[in-house]
Amino acid sequence: MAAVTLTNVVKRYGVFEVVHGANIDIADGEFVVFVGPSGCGKSTLLRMIAGLEDISGGDIAIGGKVMNDVEAADRGIAMVFQSYALYPHMTVEQNLSFGLRMNGNPKADTDRRVKRAAEILRIDELMQRRPKQLSGGQRQRVAIGRAIVREPQVFLFDEPLSNLDAELRVQMRVEISRLHKELGVTMIYVTHDQTEAMTLADRIVVLKGGNVEQIGAPLDLYDDPANRFVAGFIGSPKMNFLGAKVVETSNSAAIIELVNHGGARLRKPLREAFPAVGAEVVLGVRPEHFFEAGEGDCDIPVKADVAEHLGSVSYVYANAGPEELIVEREASRQRASGDHFTVSIKAERSLLFDKAGARIR
Amino acid sequence: MRTQNATAYRFLTPYLLIFAIFWIWPIISSFLISFQATRTVPWRFAPTFNWGRLIGDPAFYNALKNTLLILVIQVPVMIALAIVMAVLLNSPLLKARGLYRFAFFAPVVVGEVAYSAVFRLMFSLDFGIINKLLESVGLAKIDWFSNVTPAMALIMIAVTWRWAGYNAIIILAGLQSIPEDVYEAATLDRVSKVKQFFHITLPLLKPVIVFCAVLSIIGTMQLFTEPFLITERGGPGGGTETLGLLLYRQGFRSLNFGYASAVAYTMAGLAIAITLVQLWLMREPK
Ligand SMILES: Nc1ncnc2c1ncn2[C@@H]1O[C@H](COP(=O)(O)OP(=O)(O)OP(=O)(O)O)[C@@H](O)[C@H]1O
Ligand SMILES: [Mg+2]
Repeated sequence: MAAVTLTNVVKRYGVFEVVHGANIDIADGEFVVFVGPSGCGKSTLLRMIAGLEDISGGDIAIGGKVMNDVEAADRGIAMVFQSYALYPHMTVEQNLSFGLRMNGNPKADTDRRVKRAAEILRIDELMQRRPKQLSGGQRQRVAIGRAIVREPQVFLFDEPLSNLDAELRVQMRVEISRLHKELGVTMIYVTHDQTEAMTLADRIVVLKGGNVEQIGAPLDLYDDPANRFVAGFIGSPKMNFLGAKVVETSNSAAIIELVNHGGARLRKPLREAFPAVGAEVVLGVRPEHFFEAGEGDCDIPVKADVAEHLGSVSYVYANAGPEELIVEREASRQRASGDHFTVSIKAERSLLFDKAGARIR
Repeated sequence: MRTQNATAYRFLTPYLLIFAIFWIWPIISSFLISFQATRTVPWRFAPTFNWGRLIGDPAFYNALKNTLLILVIQVPVMIALAIVMAVLLNSPLLKARGLYRFAFFAPVVVGEVAYSAVFRLMFSLDFGIINKLLESVGLAKIDWFSNVTPAMALIMIAVTWRWAGYNAIIILAGLQSIPEDVYEAATLDRVSKVKQFFHITLPLLKPVIVFCAVLSIIGTMQLFTEPFLITERGGPGGGTETLGLLLYRQGFRSLNFGYASAVAYTMAGLAIAITLVQLWLMREPK
C-alpha cells in the first residue's frame, strides 16, 4: 500500500503539451477517480503513473519514493486496461499466474494467490477457459484478477467498464467498490462517466484539456464546484445555466436580472467577490433545485417541451425564451408538451459564475 | 433469386471455361497419363509401367533425397530468419522502415534468370565476391559448383535469400496484429522482453508461422529454378537434382509424359502429406 503524489507533472508529445503541470495528492488506501471529457489527458496521467509513458516534467512519487526513472515493472503497481489486454493464448489460470511464474515465484505461493483472486472475483469455474470463451464481464473479472494476483501497492484502472452493457456496468461498479474495501489498497480509476466517478470515489479529480480543474469528495464537487465546467460535468442531468446581468450590488449581495426571462430578478448573497454593475454573469441551477411557484426567491414562467418519466422522478425539458431548462419534478403525468407552468429559484440553491466560468461566491 | 444466379453464372462462363480447360483438365489428364506407357505410339494403358519404375528408380530417390534435404534444412532456417527480420522491421527504433520493407521484398520481384546469373557470378570460383571475402578473412575458397555439399548449400542460400523477406513481410503483418497493450500488461507483470517474445509473441504468431511454413514446403517441393539455373540442371552430376528437375527432364527432355506425371503426382502427394503432418503437430490444444 502506498500514497501517490504527482508534483507539477507535465507531458509533451513533441511540441504538443497534453498535461500542463498536474498536482495531485493521493493518500494511502484512497480510491481516487480521474474524470473528464475525452482527450483531457486521463489515460496519459494514469500511464505516466504506471510507467508506460515517460514524464516530460515534474515528479511522480509512489510510497514516498520518486518513480520518474523507475521501470514500470518495478513500481509495485498493477493496471487493468480498458481492452482487458488478456493473453489470448492462455487459459484464465495461466493468465492469472503468468507474471508470477515468469518471475520464479514459488509454485505454492502462486497457487495460493491465484486461488484467492479467483475466489474474490468468483471466477473459479472459468479457470480452464481461454479469453475467447468468456463474456465481457468475465474477461473484465479476469483482468482484475490478474491485477490482484500481483498484490500491488497501487491499482490503476483505465475505463475498465466502458465495454460492458449498462446493467453489468452497475454490477461491476459495486464489485470494484467491494474489492477496494476488502483489499484496502490505493486505487486510481479513470473514467469519463461522472456517475461512475460519483459512486466509486473517495475523491474525484476533474480534468479538462490537460488541467486539473478541481479535486474533492463527490458531494463537495456536486454542491460546491469551483467553476462552471465542474458544475456542468458533475451531476446528471446537467446543471442549467441561465444568462444574467448584474443590476445592483451592495456589500453583501448582488441583484441580478435573468436576461432571458422577462427581467426576473434575484438577490444573490455573496461573501467574497462582488461583480461590477452591468457585468454579464451566469446563474447555475440544478434540475432538482427548481421549486414550485412562490416557494423560492424568483419565479420564472416556462413552457414544457418534452417530459421524461423515469418512474421515481420526471424530467421536464422546458423552453423559456431561447434557453432550454431541465426541471426535475416528482413523478407525475400532469406535465404534457405545451403546458405552461412556473418554476421558482432559491438564491441559496443556485450558483453564480462570471463570464469566464469562474465561480463567484 | 434463381434468375439472378443464372445471370451470374453466364457472366462467369468464360472464366469457368478457361479454368476447366487449363486447370481442371490438366490435373485429371496428367493423373490418367501417369497410368499410361507414353514411350510407345499410340500410348497404351499400363497401370504399373510408370509407378513401378518410380519405386525402383535411383534417379527418383536421388531427387527425392535432395528435395527433402533442402526442405528440412532450408525451410526452418528461412522461417527463423524471417521471424528475426520481421521483429527488426517492427522495432520502433528502426529508421527508414519503408526502405527496408521494400528491400526485403525486392528479391521476389527480381527476374529469376537475372538473379540466378548474379548468384553464379557472386559464387564463381575465381572471380566471385564470396570467395574473395572468404580469402580476405583467411579461409580457403570454395568451389561452389563442382562439389555436391557446397552446391546444395548454395541452392539453400539462394532460395533463402529470395524468400526470407517475403515471409518476413507476412510475419510482420502477424506481429502488428498483436495488440500493444498485451505487451504493456506483460511489462507490468514484470515479464522481460525476451520472455515476452517466447511466451507471447511466438505463440500468438503460430498461425502465421504455420501458414508461411506450409507455403514454403509447397514451394520447396516444386523447387526448380535454382538448381536449373544456378547449379546448371542439378549439377554437379545430379547432386542438386530435385523432383522438379526430374519431372522437367523426364517430361520435356525425354518427352516421357507418363513418368513425368507420376513424378508430379508424387510431389503433390508428398506436399499434402507433409503439410497435414505439420498442421497436426501445430494444432491448437483443445
Ligand atoms: N502518442 C501520442 N502522440 C501525440 N498525442 C497524443 C498521444 N497520445 C495521446 N495524445 C493526446 O493527448 C491527449 C490526451 O490523451 P488521453 O489518451 O490521455 O485522453 P483521455 O482523457 O484518456 O481520453 P479518452 O477518454 O478518450 O480515453 C489527447 O489530446 C491526445 O490526442
Ligand atoms: Mg483514455
